[in-house]
Amino acid sequence: MNPSEPLVPSRVVVVGFGPVAARLVEHLEPLVAAGRVALTVLGQEPDAAYNRVLVADVAVGRTSEAAIGLADTDTLRATGIDVRLGARVDRIDRPFRRVLLTDGEAVDYDRLVLATGSRPVRPRLTGLEGPAGSDDAHLLPPGVSFLRDLSDARTVAAALAAQQRIVVLGGGILGIEAALAAAEEGGRVTLVHHGRSPMERLLGDGARVLATALRQAGITVVAGTSTGIELEHGHFAGVRLEGGVRVDGGALVLACGVRPRTELAEGCDLAVADGILVDHTLRAVGMEDIWAIGDCAEVCCLRSSCRACAGATAPQGLIGPGWQQADDVGAAFVADLSGDGGVPLTGFRSAPDPGPGVRRDPVVVLKARGVDAVVAGETDADPWTVEPGLAVAEWADPGHGRYAKMVTRDGVLTGLVCVGMPRTGAELILLFERGSELPADRSSLLRLDSAEGLLTASPPGPAATLCRCAGVTRGTVQDSVAAGCTSVQDVSAVTRAGTGCGGCHDGIRAVIEQHFAAAVAS
Amino acid sequence: MQQAGTGQHTHCPYCALQCAMTVTAGTHDGGASVDARDFPTNRGGLCRKGWSAAELLAHPDRLTAPLLRDADGVLREAPWDTVLQLIGDRVRDIQARHGRDAVAVFGGGGLTNEKAYTLGKFARLALRTSRIDYNGRFCMSSAAAAGNRAFGVDRGLPFPLEDLGAASVVLLLGSNAADTMPPFVQHLRGAQAAGGLVVVDPRRSATARLTDQGRGVHLQPTPGTDLVLLLGLAHVVVAEGLEDRRFLEARASGYDDVTRGLARWWPERVQGITGVPAASLRAVARLLAAGARRGAEGGHGAYILTGRGIEQHADGTDTTTAAVNLALLLGLPGTAHSGYGTLTGQGNGQGGREHGQKADQLPGYRKITDPAARAHVAGVWGVPEEAIPGPGLPAVELLASLGKPGGTHCLFVHGANVAVSAPDAATVVDGLRSLDLLVVSDFFLSETAALADVVLPVLQWAEEEGTVTNLEGRVLRRRPAVGPPPGARSELWIMQELARLLEAPSLFSEDPSTMFDELARASAGGLADYSGLDYGVLDGADPAYWPYPAGSTGTPRLFLGAFAHPGGRAVLVPVSPRAGTAAARTPAPLLLATGRLLEHYQSGTQTRRVPALLAAQPAARLQLHPSTAHDLGIAQGDPVVVTSAQGEARALADLTPDIRQDTVFLAFHFADAGSANRLTGSATDPVSGMPEFKTTPVGVTRLDSADPLHAARLEVVA
Repeated sequence: MNPSEPLVPSRVVVVGFGPVAARLVEHLEPLVAAGRVALTVLGQEPDAAYNRVLVADVAVGRTSEAAIGLADTDTLRATGIDVRLGARVDRIDRPFRRVLLTDGEAVDYDRLVLATGSRPVRPRLTGLEGPAGSDDAHLLPPGVSFLRDLSDARTVAAALAAQQRIVVLGGGILGIEAALAAAEEGGRVTLVHHGRSPMERLLGDGARVLATALRQAGITVVAGTSTGIELEHGHFAGVRLEGGVRVDGGALVLACGVRPRTELAEGCDLAVADGILVDHTLRAVGMEDIWAIGDCAEVCCLRSSCRACAGATAPQGLIGPGWQQADDVGAAFVADLSGDGGVPLTGFRSAPDPGPGVRRDPVVVLKARGVDAVVAGETDADPWTVEPGLAVAEWADPGHGRYAKMVTRDGVLTGLVCVGMPRTGAELILLFERGSELPADRSSLLRLDSAEGLLTASPPGPAATLCRCAGVTRGTVQDSVAAGCTSVQDVSAVTRAGTGCGGCHDGIRAVIEQHFAAAVAS
Repeated sequence: MQQAGTGQHTHCPYCALQCAMTVTAGTHDGGASVDARDFPTNRGGLCRKGWSAAELLAHPDRLTAPLLRDADGVLREAPWDTVLQLIGDRVRDIQARHGRDAVAVFGGGGLTNEKAYTLGKFARLALRTSRIDYNGRFCMSSAAAAGNRAFGVDRGLPFPLEDLGAASVVLLLGSNAADTMPPFVQHLRGAQAAGGLVVVDPRRSATARLTDQGRGVHLQPTPGTDLVLLLGLAHVVVAEGLEDRRFLEARASGYDDVTRGLARWWPERVQGITGVPAASLRAVARLLAAGARRGAEGGHGAYILTGRGIEQHADGTDTTTAAVNLALLLGLPGTAHSGYGTLTGQGNGQGGREHGQKADQLPGYRKITDPAARAHVAGVWGVPEEAIPGPGLPAVELLASLGKPGGTHCLFVHGANVAVSAPDAATVVDGLRSLDLLVVSDFFLSETAALADVVLPVLQWAEEEGTVTNLEGRVLRRRPAVGPPPGARSELWIMQELARLLEAPSLFSEDPSTMFDELARASAGGLADYSGLDYGVLDGADPAYWPYPAGSTGTPRLFLGAFAHPGGRAVLVPVSPRAGTAAARTPAPLLLATGRLLEHYQSGTQTRRVPALLAAQPAARLQLHPSTAHDLGIAQGDPVVVTSAQGEARALADLTPDIRQDTVFLAFHFADAGSANRLTGSATDPVSGMPEFKTTPVGVTRLDSADPLHAARLEVVA
């Protein structure tokens, strides 16, 4: 830009104000402060961005709404950012590059970023029918809610406070986390799920170990297909299962997955599959001035040769990849718009870019206090499958609530399941995120959770060091005792053992006692 | 001078714990001896380094005359007046040809306050160069930067060490004190008894083992992820409402900015980056909060202490800041029963960073860019303010400038062995070789001295008068117990003589007491104010903690009333990890952490000359996990080659399940082929200039026994 020209800020509009949008806004703040970007953020919720991952913790009272906040509206406005909360977008007018709000206002853009996130799936159940296409929680019957936003959290918190039995519908990660959170905080909880065990598809046999852990946490776990809900006095009273069984409760939490919110994109003829289709620069396919990031986006590069996009999928409700996308778009905007090659914020890229053709499968870590379960990558491989490069190791100890599975290709960890072994689970996720090779001795990873950790027994012989500070062996101390030392002070004076940190004084005393016990015995 | 047979009260020559000892001169030809002395820090304890320290006084390797490199390139003894005259002439010549900044000074954290102070003054007034920095840049710079920006002043422990003993919870981050300062661990007993000792280290170190049997918790994160770990702990504190709101409202600022950043670091996310389970993070955060609450109620409180393990990184300042933020959220600093501190490493690592041998500082922990500070110091020195040069280059940049066009052509080294201790040591050695003039003051022919044009033999700790400031900011007297070998001179005398030859203004005295008195005046009104101190006060019975302004009785506990920022508030500074850290590289390499052994100190110049210490740890040994070793085809004791982007080193394999499978450890005390710093890189922290010592990607292979050079290499290793 010619410095003599007056600076015309580029108009950037972000639709959505969730965690991913908030991260992008952080990148753009310096550009706004420098007058290079005029930024408008349109959030539908009445609250500024907060960490949605922690909504269940708010619901059960483990944390506060304030503690999960990711942005402060006043601070952003003071920077000059036009933040609008409770703003509903009616449609996007692409030909005129503007966003039209339901209140009739229009906001012009040079660059538009869709970060509309996802919405919870409303299951098809008798009694839950609503107007087509309206998934808004306020249209659910009393006593029924999702657990997606802060208003949902308040609803569930009220039910817990009223000591109602909470029925959680959905045996996926969200349902299990909600059920565990409520149960661990003293709530009465029933979890209703399809199939044999919750999370069976992801965890395989590990799901059965998990189910036991859920029961031990006090959750009533019910397998079955729900067909409808029943109301009493207009309020939720139970879930009806196939076969007629009714699961009673005072509140129902729907945890049946999420779907990308794409209707704005569809309304302006952007390409949409499950999510808004974007290329590897996160631009909506075929668009120069529209981007989509986070849950609403689905990376699908049309160039089949594009390495960057091969195998990539939508973030599927996981926040880490969404933040990475915000970092990428933020860096690109900073590079384009700063005019001085400004340095973008950087994120923490823990997940490696996979090579071409490698599945970028989600990492799922159960957030719970007393139950540990992690899963990532390909988990369906069988230990007995013969396939070049593939090796699968499995450890099952359901009696003690432990299960682990490690899938490797050419030694590199490509899939894992780990239940009931916290250190092993944490380590495996770390190794998976880094694309690490596993040691040939897979069992060494299981031993991270062994009772003694990795204690090595020091050899008890006379050559073993008894006093580390002074470098004195047990044998030297024994010799000094044999030569007449009868106290720690004596031994210290003769050998210097015990003259540093004093941590070996008990050991020295033991040598003295052994000596005199042996003398008495002989 | 003491008569033979009567002991002189002094302190150990090695680490910052500065254990009290009594040194007794030998009778006839018998060597001097060391006895432990009861003192609040070491409580009568010494480690084997301290016990054996006197063996170095009359060591056959002692330098007893100046050495001058002759025409054949051989160092030969020469008279003092010859070498001093030569140094003076060469300095004038080099500065005439290349400018004043072509001459540089590299100091050390082991120098007494008097020597550190005089060295800074010598650089600026006698050599008239801006280029002075010191090896503390490799030690304390990140903690100092973090402490300064949070509290307004950096004193390692802003409370007496004894306070720790009453704590119920102590979080030790990246410190292996059980090896590096063994008597220190006596102060952890209270926390151990309460089950509240928490040690964070990728190795199950001797210190980590102090948590065994219910005495605490060991967290074992993968190297380079301490910052994320600390963000995770702080997240739990805020998410569960465990922070000390009253403290934060009354005594700190920046809370909102920091907590908004924390919402992003919930434990299950942190677990996937660090390898530390979410449940452990929650448990430790709650343990800390419980200790903090007890402390706030006047009971057994909580302390957070950092060490080089989390500080010696290219993001060391931010990582240490994350530890400080955690402490502030819990309301620990500046209170009577809880606190935050960093464990200073070198003997005078505290005093050494206060009195002007840092590139950006003047005595009293003053900024060299502050006009008022410059005017004050110029006044004490009796020179016009413009006679004091501006800020110079931090250590890594300074060493990188050796022999470069526009760079450094002449280097004075005092109390440091950069050929072994500096990162990317092989490049540093090349730089030292390319100098027009290298002058090294040492009492042994260290690896750096061996490269010098002139080596000046100087005094050891038991031969000199002076002061050091220990890890708790307490100023201690060092007293001569034995006479120096004939031919060795004090560094104060050397600077006095060179200053005279260079026609420097102001005072350069060989008398330590005189220089200390000037230091006290120069520090008056600064952050590290010593103006109320002199040898008379220090020889008295009462402990002397700085700041000790004239008319005061010192400050055992800093910040009780207010922090040192204007307004008296501590500042929480938001920090988050940067991308591109070595730990995030894929496919994940083995990560090398360098560190220390109980038996050796720093570059080993001293301890490798003590037979018992050398026998216990004779050569570089690479710690690695048995399953890692198995996959690499390496067995216990095998000679191995470690390679990094920077270079390679040789070591013997030491298999231990106490280290993470993705981590290898090599102590940096060894020279030549076994030098760990041949592997470390030159990346530095943008705030502190601290190099990255703890997260270097490496490969490890076994030295092929079929290799015809095998036998020769083995000799090099062993």
